[in-house]
Amino acid sequence: MTTRVVFKKASRWYGPVMALNDVSFELGPGVYGLLGPNGAGKSSLLKMASGQLRPSQGTVELLGRPAFGSPEVFHAVGLCSDTDAMFEDFTGLQFVSSLLSLNGFDRAQAHKLATEAIEIVDLKDAMHRRVGGYSKGMRQRIKLAQALAHQPEVLFLDEPLTGMDPQNRKRISDLMKRLGDEGRTVLVSTHILHELEQVTRRVLLIHNGRVLAEGDLGEIRDLLDRHPRSVRIKAKDTRGLARELVTLPDLVSLNLEDATQNLLAEIRKPDAFFTKVQEVSATYGVEEMWVTDENLESVFSYLVSK
Amino acid sequence: MSNESTPLAIRPTWPGARDVFAISIERMLPRPRSFWVFLLLALPVLLAVLLRIYPPKGLPLTGFELYGVVVALFFVRNLLPLVALLFGSALISDAVDSKTLTYFLTRPVSRLSIFLGEFMAYLVTVLTLTVPCVVLTYLVLCVGTPQGAGFGAADLVRDLGACALTLFTYGAVFALLGVSLKRPLIPGLLFLFVWEGFVANFPGDAPNYTLSAYARSLIRHRPSEEGLAELFSKFFGVGESVLTLGIVGVIALALAIWIFSRREYVISS
Repeated sequence: MTTRVVFKKASRWYGPVMALNDVSFELGPGVYGLLGPNGAGKSSLLKMASGQLRPSQGTVELLGRPAFGSPEVFHAVGLCSDTDAMFEDFTGLQFVSSLLSLNGFDRAQAHKLATEAIEIVDLKDAMHRRVGGYSKGMRQRIKLAQALAHQPEVLFLDEPLTGMDPQNRKRISDLMKRLGDEGRTVLVSTHILHELEQVTRRVLLIHNGRVLAEGDLGEIRDLLDRHPRSVRIKAKDTRGLARELVTLPDLVSLNLEDATQNLLAEIRKPDAFFTKVQEVSATYGVEEMWVTDENLESVFSYLVSK
Repeated sequence: MSNESTPLAIRPTWPGARDVFAISIERMLPRPRSFWVFLLLALPVLLAVLLRIYPPKGLPLTGFELYGVVVALFFVRNLLPLVALLFGSALISDAVDSKTLTYFLTRPVSRLSIFLGEFMAYLVTVLTLTVPCVVLTYLVLCVGTPQGAGFGAADLVRDLGACALTLFTYGAVFALLGVSLKRPLIPGLLFLFVWEGFVANFPGDAPNYTLSAYARSLIRHRPSEEGLAELFSKFFGVGESVLTLGIVGVIALALAIWIFSRREYVISS
């Protein structure tokens, strides 16, 4: 395997705050998910991987060189950062092609590559408009275009699907998969497990600056499924619904909240539970359903305690 | 397309700087800051127009001498250092504040190229704003006077050179301040109005340690100081002034690049 990104006992702190703690892993070709709740250290890890931050301890290598202080690697590295910053007065095409010129492409090459990348992210119709006037989803896509345009071997994508509609999420997810299949290394961060499942099965689980687990998404999914999740349901006939749900094997507890008359269920396998609720929703008049700890924080705390 | 066999080499300094410049100039020139600075620089032109329309009675100066006073006092002594502070100190911090520095730092260009590209964009921007104002001031005060517009044209060219050198030196000093301090504006203002403003006019050797005294020495066609003013206005030779301003500018620029090349920029969302 061609190893392109190597973290060796890398730590990073900002003053007294530890952002990343003793992290070691290696990445070769393919798509890797970086999964963790907000504040877990995903962005710090990506910034170190992409040479923006130097490790306080340990080493980070990108394409065989120290990631920090080796700008030459950016011929073969693309970054879509989490910051919503761009050259606001530039058009989409101008934005991407001017960044390509920094890679050494001449005007004609830059124009060609920029147009191709913009087509890939489906922004061709808007490429002559100012990026300052783009919607959130369009801004994400043009950021992605500038990361892809020079066809890098390694791509770092920090929350790339933020603000995109379902159609474009699917398009970009497929694109990430394709890039991985082509032999590129794609490290994509997210705090939404479901998004990652559509792209890859290889993940790094990160929490409180530590990589908790590294491996197949299925194993992590199993771990997550063992952790009870709380679901709150608002329905017209909560008692009838409760009678229906109480027979489910993975139900841990079921309560009727006094104040709201909502049903509060603790479950182990959310997918099976959601399917069941969907089946009977018309019968019992289910109006709303929400997972109270969808935030990965609680799940990760659970994993840490295991 | 990049692949495993692509040789990874940093881009040469000047082509990299040129490409950074091309991006930066498009972002720097059309900013509101440029508009306000242009208005500031246009104030001497307005003053020149007023002096032509309502010439003060008994003023013992020709139009050309008056132009010399305006260039020395308003442009070189006060406005250009202020403009250099506004632009120079924000050279890198603007890109940090707007979070766009990441786009430069994650491309195969050296930090030296990035800084030089930004500095060139600064120089071109401020010269684009300054040159028309100086030329207009000259034209307003000299055209139609008994000496004629052609008189002192060579001095105008030299004055533009003096303005460029002033902007270069102060710009480099304030760029150094900008990469060294988080909030460079107040220290910059103190430097301009306390150190440069007062010390340059002290008697004795004190003005040797100010940029202002060398910069004003480049304007040779102003009326000479008389009496007490002469005592408090030290002037240097043109060669000495050019050399001093040039050396200070280059040293400040080198230090600023050295700091910028080693600094880590934490840009978060």
